[in-house]
Amino acid sequence: MLSRSAQGLYWMGRYLERTQHLCRLLELQASALVDRPVREIYFGWRRIYASVGREPPGGVLEIDFDDDFTLADSYTLADDLTFERLNSCSIWSCLALGRENARQMRHCISGEMWMALNLSYLRVQGLSMQDIWTTSPESFYIQTSAEINTFLGIASTTMYRDDGWHFMRLGHFIERAQLSSALLLAHLAAGTTNKEDSDDDWTSLLRAYRAFDAYNRRYSVEVHPGRVLELLVIDPMLPNSLCQSIDSVAAELAGLAPGPDTGPSVAARRLVDRIGAMVHDYWPERGDHGEFLRQVNDYCRELHYLLTAAYFEYPVEGLEPHPTTGGEGQVGSG
Amino acid sequence: MDFDAYDLDPSIYDEMFLPDGTPREHCGPLNETLTQLTSEELVGIQERVTRSFSDEGITFTVYGDDEADERIIPIDCLPRVMSGAEWRNIEEGLTQRLKALNLFLDDVYGKSRIKDLYGKPRIVHDGVVPDDVVRDCPQYREEMRGFSAPHGTWVAICGTDLVRTNDGFRVLEDNLRVPSGVSYMLANRKAAKSSLRRLYRRSRVREVENYGRVLLETLRELAPEGRSEPTIALLTPGVYNSAFYEHMFLAQELGAELVEGRDLLVSDDFVYMRTTTGLRRVDVIYRRVDDDFVDPLVFRPDSLLGVPGLIHAYKLGNVALVNAPGTGVADDKSVYAYVPDMVRYYLGEDAILENVETYLCRRPEDLEYTLDNLQDLVVKRVGESGGYGMLIGPHSSAGERDEYAEQVRADPAGFISQPTLALSRSPCLIDGRVEPRHVDLRPFVLHGRRTRIVPGAFCRVALRRGSLVVNSSQGGGGKDFWVLED
Repeated sequence: MLSRSAQGLYWMGRYLERTQHLCRLLELQASALVDRPVREIYFGWRRIYASVGREPPGGVLEIDFDDDFTLADSYTLADDLTFERLNSCSIWSCLALGRENARQMRHCISGEMWMALNLSYLRVQGLSMQDIWTTSPESFYIQTSAEINTFLGIASTTMYRDDGWHFMRLGHFIERAQLSSALLLAHLAAGTTNKEDSDDDWTSLLRAYRAFDAYNRRYSVEVHPGRVLELLVIDPMLPNSLCQSIDSVAAELAGLAPGPDTGPSVAARRLVDRIGAMVHDYWPERGDHGEFLRQVNDYCRELHYLLTAAYFEYPVEGLEPHPTTGGEGQVGSG
Repeated sequence: MDFDAYDLDPSIYDEMFLPDGTPREHCGPLNETLTQLTSEELVGIQERVTRSFSDEGITFTVYGDDEADERIIPIDCLPRVMSGAEWRNIEEGLTQRLKALNLFLDDVYGKSRIKDLYGKPRIVHDGVVPDDVVRDCPQYREEMRGFSAPHGTWVAICGTDLVRTNDGFRVLEDNLRVPSGVSYMLANRKAAKSSLRRLYRRSRVREVENYGRVLLETLRELAPEGRSEPTIALLTPGVYNSAFYEHMFLAQELGAELVEGRDLLVSDDFVYMRTTTGLRRVDVIYRRVDDDFVDPLVFRPDSLLGVPGLIHAYKLGNVALVNAPGTGVADDKSVYAYVPDMVRYYLGEDAILENVETYLCRRPEDLEYTLDNLQDLVVKRVGESGGYGMLIGPHSSAGERDEYAEQVRADPAGFISQPTLALSRSPCLIDGRVEPRHVDLRPFVLHGRRTRIVPGAFCRVALRRGSLVVNSSQGGGGKDFWVLED
């Protein structure tokens, strides 16, 4: 497969995962606005902003215990993360970039995949925060997330399992692992001391991962931070767990022949093995979970560069390497 | 829906109705269907068709100052229908014309030139085409001189613009460089089939959906010797090109990679592309990049869209380039005037498809005639396409004509003129009513080692009332075109 096509599919996978990740978090925020305490709402906003590495509009978030202010603040923040075109990590931007990569690589995906994604894009294009806020913002996030799930379902039943498939999925799962570790880090960093508040925050974290029911089934309704982390990080049966994401990365990589540049190609495989071993065997029961997650996050970023070097931008005499960011027609940023 | 308000004008050929208002024989089923449908039903069909284009992202892109604007090419839901017999005549005419044009290109560039002091093409030496018409043509590529295209195929993909008047079909333009529009032919067909299902089945329409396969066969025939399973790539200028949708679409139809110049390199005179498993040799390049940009070592050195060394690899026969560079000399608006003479000269036959009468302003008597009759003529710039830089005499003001006349006087060789044609009209759905609009036709002729024509065309429509300009950049749209089985 043409390197640039593979790279386009890889980025498409990344952006759509990013879109869905934001949808889940914002759905949670939108429903928190209905009945959760102001403190929890602000905690949620801080966690989102920290996890995507972005400053909220207006700088530091100060809790305002006035409901009206909280609502007004939340509107601004949700708009920034949903429809702000100048924010490259808003839902609007991520979906547009995912769709743009699909448009450029449309000959590499199935017609059904393209159509599903394009319809979703056209729908979101025509909306603004005002449109979704007054009725039910949750349902917008739920629908957008469901549309991406539909896209992925269509992909799994219609897409030819060539290298393009593996690269799309690699993008998807590497992005998921990175976002997941970043979210957990942000959660730990924003740590709450008060037991009751803390329980609420961990519960909302479980909901963000769609892991609340799984937690109840495996443990109990009693929220224990160590168990929550264990579920979200090392449980191979939880679809969104870090462990599951890394296993999927390894599986997709195994489906690909080694890249033309053997150095980074071998290094990438070794690195995936190492991260795999970490999440399977070396999760510290106690101790510094933050350090562990930071390490995984760094490794995922490194993996991205290794794959880029091995498959997309390997050196060829007489050929300029493709720019990863900001180049003509190339849509992606790490 | 009734046709009471349908404005039939006997001086203009109507594709559906005879001058007395009865439908042409082959349009009977279409007439019956339209008569049975209500205005609301037709509007519903039109909306569904337009929506399907938007949903599927069948667009052309217009780039403004800040962001890209993806536009849908307007489609009219009523098909234009043609009988099998009429089509056969067009098919023969197109085949004949392309054969002559390829012989002309071989004569202009190839080794068969007269071996006299000036190395003139035979056709120039024999006084059929004037020397300066060829030599001064901006699309003439001296770099290709002395080269003979494999199998004599300079033009493998041609999109000829045909118009019909009360006197029959005329060739308006030969597009021999990178003709576009075939994806709209296929998209229009898909839309028409799903919206007029019963009519389509009843009408026994000849299929065009195999275009991709036919194109693939054509490209394979041109692969370098000994490459039985050639790797084919479609070279696009990139996502910012207005026809990017078509490039992507054709790559998909061909099962080919869609490459940009930066994906390719020439090494030891072979062409390779960068893939996830290493460099892979490319055998056939269907290029949608203009001559000037295709190889910075030979043509424009500032081009970033091309591949250094590509032309050399092509000349050595290590890669096929479709179409060959330099073919623009044969679809130049001045050279066009001589195509019927070429047919006679190379093939010893009369042209089956006639030209539109053309006055070359480079000839003093034609210049005088043009300036004296500006109000009745269409004047075109030789180097322009897409309907730009044109004066349509009857639709112009005296001021515009004076201004244009100045330009023509300043550079007579840069202009040609033609009588304003009464292009035929076809029924279109406009604001819930069926009204006639002017149409043209762009069939696609493919030639590898033999000629293949899919029985269909991109039918362009001037959607504005009275307008003769069908170009999508200027308010034109498209409609499906049906060739019926006999």
